[in-house]
Amino acid sequence: MIDTIDPIPPENIFRVDPSRRALIPFWEIPVSAGFTSPAENYIQERLNLQDLCVLHPDCTHFVKATGESMTGDYIYPGSILVVDSTIPVETGRVIVSYVNDGWCVKRYVNKDPLVMLESSNSLYAPIYVQPGEVFKILGVVTYIVSKPPKYVRPC
Amino acid sequence: MYALVDGKNFYASCHRIFRPDLVGRPVVVLSNRDGNIVARSDEAKALGIGMGQLFFEAKDLCQQHGVTVFSSNYELYGDLSARLMSTLTHFAPDVEVYSIDEAFLLLEEYVGIYPTYRDIGSAICSHVGRWLHLPVGVGIGPTKTLAKVANKLAKKSPDLVCVLDTPELIDEALEDFPVEDIWGVGRKSAGKLKNVGIRTAAQLRDVNDDWIQKVMTVNGLRLVHELRGRPCKLLEVNPPPKKSICTEPGFGHVIPDLVQINDALTVHLSRCCEKLRRQESLCGAVTVWLRTNPFRKTPGNKQPAKQYSNSVTVRLPHPTSSTLEIIKYAESSLKAIFRFGYHYAKVGVMLTDLVPADFRQAGVFTAGPDERLIRLAKTMDKVNKRYGRDTLRMASQLYNPEWPMKPTYLTPRYTTRWEDILEVK
Repeated sequence: MIDTIDPIPPENIFRVDPSRRALIPFWEIPVSAGFTSPAENYIQERLNLQDLCVLHPDCTHFVKATGESMTGDYIYPGSILVVDSTIPVETGRVIVSYVNDGWCVKRYVNKDPLVMLESSNSLYAPIYVQPGEVFKILGVVTYIVSKPPKYVRPC
Repeated sequence: MYALVDGKNFYASCHRIFRPDLVGRPVVVLSNRDGNIVARSDEAKALGIGMGQLFFEAKDLCQQHGVTVFSSNYELYGDLSARLMSTLTHFAPDVEVYSIDEAFLLLEEYVGIYPTYRDIGSAICSHVGRWLHLPVGVGIGPTKTLAKVANKLAKKSPDLVCVLDTPELIDEALEDFPVEDIWGVGRKSAGKLKNVGIRTAAQLRDVNDDWIQKVMTVNGLRLVHELRGRPCKLLEVNPPPKKSICTEPGFGHVIPDLVQINDALTVHLSRCCEKLRRQESLCGAVTVWLRTNPFRKTPGNKQPAKQYSNSVTVRLPHPTSSTLEIIKYAESSLKAIFRFGYHYAKVGVMLTDLVPADFRQAGVFTAGPDERLIRLAKTMDKVNKRYGRDTLRMASQLYNPEWPMKPTYLTPRYTTRWEDILEVK
């Protein structure tokens, strides 16, 4: 036997006029009418990427990477960096800073009295910041948002 | 104890976050149409550039001394201001946002965490500096007025903190604090006070109560009490929604044409209605006014030009926030007061009789506002928020790309637009 859907005659199809909606009273008396969704009590909230990536919304900046100097840390041109200003800057952290008249993303290495800004791409030389030079740290990179690379099938 | 936290040269500092090379160099920020100078860094002040000075007057000076000029970027300032205020709630639960860069904090219960008030002040300065990269000054005193005095003095102290917590410190601060610099003393009152020989805050504090009430009304009496250390102005944590919304920008140049004026009116009204919906209010009346430039001289004969100004207020049949509905009344009002043959300088619009959005009252002979129009307006707001201002607009808004004038020294909106975020190499 083939399952068919009972056809509804066109005269039984009505258009709902939303402007004439009336409130229906809600009676708080249990009526047995099959199961409610067992998942209902467990759905609390939808996930939001912001809650995961942005711990301090007031002290966070989104920054776009353009160069290829940090590809070793999965930062590619076009990646969006989540930069948090509240996190203490320590040797080894990837930071966004202003140096040599431009903003850059580099790995911070403290070599007192100098600061070394390392790239993670071997083609790029490290930058040394002399004391007294204009050097300003925006914050530490906490997340990197990128699209997956385009897949090219090797022939 | 109250603290007043204010951003040091706030607008200039906002630009410097993203241009650290400008720290220690002169910076000025221009008004909406690049007309006047509305903010200056300390270095620019030192060059003698005045507050509110016309930009074209100062242009040569700016070029000479390598002053960096920015058009105002209110989106950036607004966002950084919101971040600042939100950060301040880490230090005290009750924060009154007093202006875009000033906030009062109630510090009462928080003394225990930090050993002294000075320590809280320094903590606020250093944390805001590190987290938001904004310099702030902190003034602390037993009343809001004294906190304001302390804040003024903090600007001169090297660590940007000033605490007035003992009678001796307060005496010393008020001793040579000029009376016209006190919060709430206007130019008029200052003149009156100086006429009777009151020149410093200390002198004002010691006046007779009845006398000051006669001269400066009950507000003056409150002020004197505040100077004595008795709080009379309390923290307003939830400011009431604005009672009226109004705009009156100039055209930039004079225009005689009804179509163009109508265009400008539509733009301003759309902005006002957006504000109205954002604060979730409805308006009950709309006022439109139109005026010529009172200082204009006729180009040919240098005689003062013919003057005309008029205004009209229309009461709406029911409170509404729909641009479509309000524009009908605003346009007919404009047509009613418009006269040919004048060179108009300004058209203004004001929305009054504001009520909360859940107040929908149908009159006896009039229906309530059309819900569909209000929903449509909300949808327009959403579309414009997502795709940029004026993506969806009224047809009567001709959308002349040259009007409003494009600011020349515009900076990216680093914190509020994806296309404008900072780029790093």
